[in-house]
Amino acid sequence: MSKNNLLLKYSIEWPKTVTALMVIMTILLGALIMNIQVDTDPENMLSEDEAVRVFHNQVKKTFDLQDVVVLGIVNENDPDGVFNPATLKKVHELTEFAKTLSDPNDPEKHVVSQNILAPGTVDAIEQAGMGQVSFNWLMKEPPQTREESHKIRDLAMNNPLLKGTLVSEDGKALAIYIPISKKDYAYQVRSALQEKIEDYSGKEQYHITGLPVAEDTFGVEMFIQMAISAPLAMIMIFILMFIFFKNLKLITAPMIIAMATVISTMGLLIGTGNTVHIMSSMIPIFLMPIAVVDSVHILSEFFDLYQQTKNRRATLEKVMGHLFRPMFFTSVTSATGFASLALTPIPPVRTFGLFVAFGIMLAWFLTIVFIPAYISLLSEKSLNNFGTVVAAKNKKRTKKDYFNITKPLRWLGDFTYYRAKFIATASLIILIIAAFGIMQIEINDNPIKWFAKDHEVRVADRVLNEHFGGTHEAYLILTNGKKQSTVGEISTQVQKSVSTTLTAHDELLKTAQAIITNVEENAKTADVYFSKLNELWESVSDDMNNEDYDLWLNSLDALQSIRDQNQIFKNPEVLNYIDKLEDYMLTTGIVGKSNSVTDIVKKVHQELYAGDEEKFSVPETQNGVAQTLISLQSSHNPDDLWHLVTPDYSQANIWVQLKNGNNKDMEITLAGVDKFFKNNPPPVEIDYKWAGLTYINVVWQDKMVKGMLNSFLSSFLVVLILMSILFRSVLWGLLAMVPLSITIAIIYALIGFIGKDYDMPVAILSSLTLGLAIDFAIHFLERTREIYKQTGSWEATSRLMFEEPARAITRNVIVIAIGFTPLLLAPLVPYQTVGIFLASIMAISGLATIVILPALINILKTKLFKGTSNRKLQSEIDEQYKTTIINDINDEEQLEVIS
Amino acid sequence: MNNNNFILKTLTTALLILAHFVSGAGAMDVETIIQKANNAAYYAGDDGRAEIKMEITDSQNRTRIRKFVILRKDEKDGGNQMFYVYFQRPSDVRKMSFMVHKNTKKDDDRWLYLPALDLVKRIAASDKRTSFVGSHFYYEDVSGRSLNDDAHTLIETTDKHYVVNNTPKDPGSVEFSSFKVWIDKKTFLPVKAVYLDKQQKAYREVEALETKEIGGYPTVTKSRVKDLLSGGETVSEFTNVSYNIGLKTNLFSERYLRKPPKQIRK
Repeated sequence: MSKNNLLLKYSIEWPKTVTALMVIMTILLGALIMNIQVDTDPENMLSEDEAVRVFHNQVKKTFDLQDVVVLGIVNENDPDGVFNPATLKKVHELTEFAKTLSDPNDPEKHVVSQNILAPGTVDAIEQAGMGQVSFNWLMKEPPQTREESHKIRDLAMNNPLLKGTLVSEDGKALAIYIPISKKDYAYQVRSALQEKIEDYSGKEQYHITGLPVAEDTFGVEMFIQMAISAPLAMIMIFILMFIFFKNLKLITAPMIIAMATVISTMGLLIGTGNTVHIMSSMIPIFLMPIAVVDSVHILSEFFDLYQQTKNRRATLEKVMGHLFRPMFFTSVTSATGFASLALTPIPPVRTFGLFVAFGIMLAWFLTIVFIPAYISLLSEKSLNNFGTVVAAKNKKRTKKDYFNITKPLRWLGDFTYYRAKFIATASLIILIIAAFGIMQIEINDNPIKWFAKDHEVRVADRVLNEHFGGTHEAYLILTNGKKQSTVGEISTQVQKSVSTTLTAHDELLKTAQAIITNVEENAKTADVYFSKLNELWESVSDDMNNEDYDLWLNSLDALQSIRDQNQIFKNPEVLNYIDKLEDYMLTTGIVGKSNSVTDIVKKVHQELYAGDEEKFSVPETQNGVAQTLISLQSSHNPDDLWHLVTPDYSQANIWVQLKNGNNKDMEITLAGVDKFFKNNPPPVEIDYKWAGLTYINVVWQDKMVKGMLNSFLSSFLVVLILMSILFRSVLWGLLAMVPLSITIAIIYALIGFIGKDYDMPVAILSSLTLGLAIDFAIHFLERTREIYKQTGSWEATSRLMFEEPARAITRNVIVIAIGFTPLLLAPLVPYQTVGIFLASIMAISGLATIVILPALINILKTKLFKGTSNRKLQSEIDEQYKTTIINDINDEEQLEVIS
Repeated sequence: MNNNNFILKTLTTALLILAHFVSGAGAMDVETIIQKANNAAYYAGDDGRAEIKMEITDSQNRTRIRKFVILRKDEKDGGNQMFYVYFQRPSDVRKMSFMVHKNTKKDDDRWLYLPALDLVKRIAASDKRTSFVGSHFYYEDVSGRSLNDDAHTLIETTDKHYVVNNTPKDPGSVEFSSFKVWIDKKTFLPVKAVYLDKQQKAYREVEALETKEIGGYPTVTKSRVKDLLSGGETVSEFTNVSYNIGLKTNLFSERYLRKPPKQIRK
């Protein structure tokens, strides 16, 4: 306590210095906010060297894949859908416009124009009459007539690679896939497109979606929300406090503390080089209620006591004497709850947890230092009309008080005293029901659902996924799983093959074998072996007669087929296996479409045979596949093939289009593919691995949920230990955990029952629940013990507890719960979630504290207070405090008589 | 009035003639230049044979090889031509062959033979600006672009080169807005071409890296196409080049697609 006294003394005696120091700190740290680096990429939920991210980036590079903005054009009004000259003209213009986009301030950010997927940039393989096949741009120029438009539609519909991807099956929609060099360029692309579209008149609707758009747009709007929601909540809290305390000057103090805490914490966060992530952007919203809570406790008590003494210093000393310990412990426990997030494997969550923890302790420190200083700086006059007595008098005058909480609280006190067993039983029943609710919880996240239902991004996602195979992408990467053979092993194979191809031609065989032996000795790698052998065999063939030459060519072919063993994605068996896998994925109902090298081979093969339906298949031989593919490569975009297979044919990419961004749907797909591989062993060894944003989201969600659970359990344990130390009793410690446990159980049960997904914001909020809910319990129990020491009877204690202590808790509940209602108006769902959560946490934990705790104390009172009565009453019995309460009670009673 | 007009006309004519002589001292009209260039690049000798190795490098420095033999026979300089291309590598497309009858007055005829499918396929030639077997070269780079497709302007004459700008007469038919060609003054071989896209940005560059005189004909023996957008490129090397080897017209018939003529071998 001495430390407290010293601090208090300092604050009261040098209030100006204390205030100046706080202002200077806030300004210095606040200045660092200028260096803000925003990071809205959920990918960063995983650290950069996380295996799945490394692989994802490698896949993007290997297959030249970029993050994609999807621009959908829908025409429901024209009988021909989008396939009319007017709409296609706009499609053409928008494609050309998209090609030109780049950020003037950052050369790294631009549209990757050569990879745009649009009617004007893809080839249509078509039958051009006279048994000819042609590779033509699907839409080189916008068509002039209805017939030309129909032709474009028919060509696109006939191409399984385009149908469901570029054009919708109903012909009403068309999509332009705009790849961007950097994901955080998505919002700018969206804005530029919107601006361009604004000038269009016509019956078309335009929708812009894609995961990068959702993520980047969320980032931008999130910061706008920060600038709206946080101050609105601040104003709301301010108004509520004014209603309770009716003294503008006094309630300014908690506001100042909240501001100083938020500004300093954010300044420190940015100043230490951390980027402001989606998570950390929520720090101000989390810190504000916590920063205000302690001040409300002090003010509430000061409010109740001041008029008794009319002495600021004496009142302050008393109030701080009561509150120092509970405030310290509530702050430490809340901070512990958040700091435990540092145990999660998710960097932004770690940063978030640590800085909120820091902010809480800062708020605590500022509260105990600045509030007394601030009160000291106020003139006596401004305190005159402050305090319960005055408030009571005012009430008499107006006879109207919407916030008369004293009477219901007293009733509640009686209720908990006489109906303790009922309350305990009811709580138990609630817990059992809650357990069912919690079991209903569905873990799922979906960045699209971060937007409110009527938000443009969410509407776009819904509309486009109704028309297309799916705008959420994942990549299933298949890799040759066979180990590279050694030069010796290969050579044995080659020897065997030449003895077959050159059988009965001893001369040639000898020549061939001599070269093999020579090359085998010198070649260190398989690659060198093949190249050298091929080169030498070719050079020998120059002087052969035609008959020998043909035989020789057969040997070269055989050599190549050995070499091509690793090119498994030219192998017809493997391609047919992929076909089966893709068909299987479609049966899950979640995958709307998938594209692979097999699909390309089948389509080209068919067109080589004049569009014969029967030939929509994989050629029978590996060379057949190779020659089909080289025919395709005589198109405008030969490199498009390399998005689906590597040029060495050792790795393939199945581009999976999902109908939505739900993690749980991605998980079903993952499980389905696992099952497929298990039940259908591939013809050769194939390793498979996933990449793509939709998949990455699943990975970090999984890490986060587990991480959150761990961090929650460990912080629960730490808090329990802290409580047991604070109360020097495990039983009291356990008691303190009751309200928060019930709060968490009820809140998560509600989430389970109403079917809200357990997503990122919900997961994070468990720490907030722990931090806030324990607050009330500590205050309540600490005061209970203190009063019990004085009264020696639970009945008397209970009565007194439902005076000032219960009022302080109720005021806190109301201020914070209502204060955050502006969050409900935000167009971003996580903000709404936080708003609802804060209100529920405050309401439920406040109620649980003042209803369940007294009931349990009543039931357990013999065990709880065992020894207390024997122990000597604590040094100072606060006579004045008693008087206050008695006066207070008298006051209220008078009031009742009058009204 | 009449007088004045007459004097003015005479003066103007005189000036124009003078100007023509001053600038035209040794200078050539642009049509002549591009015709000579076209002949030098695509019509050397009456026929010819070359072995070509293409190395295709993508933006990630992954390389692929194409090796083929090409036979050519001209009807007359600047006129119709026939090409026969026989693939040797990659080995899984070995024996694949490709034939073109280039027609200056109508669309080309193109055939492709795929041995693994035992299939001869006609390829429509509606657009010649498609990739040549997956390389950065276009069919048009291999067989030549018709001079009538563009309007030509001589924009610069340097010590070594005529620089000609070419603008397509039908801009909708091609992906470029114009291209500039540097033509060697001595050999008339085009040695460099830069293509601008519709946004007037250079996106493609073709360059002769090495030229040799073979059988009296200046010949490009190494050339490169660069895709300036993706960063990929293809380098072609020509070896065992010969001209006037007496190729018969009937070699360039469909029948030979399945069974390559012996001239494919040296």
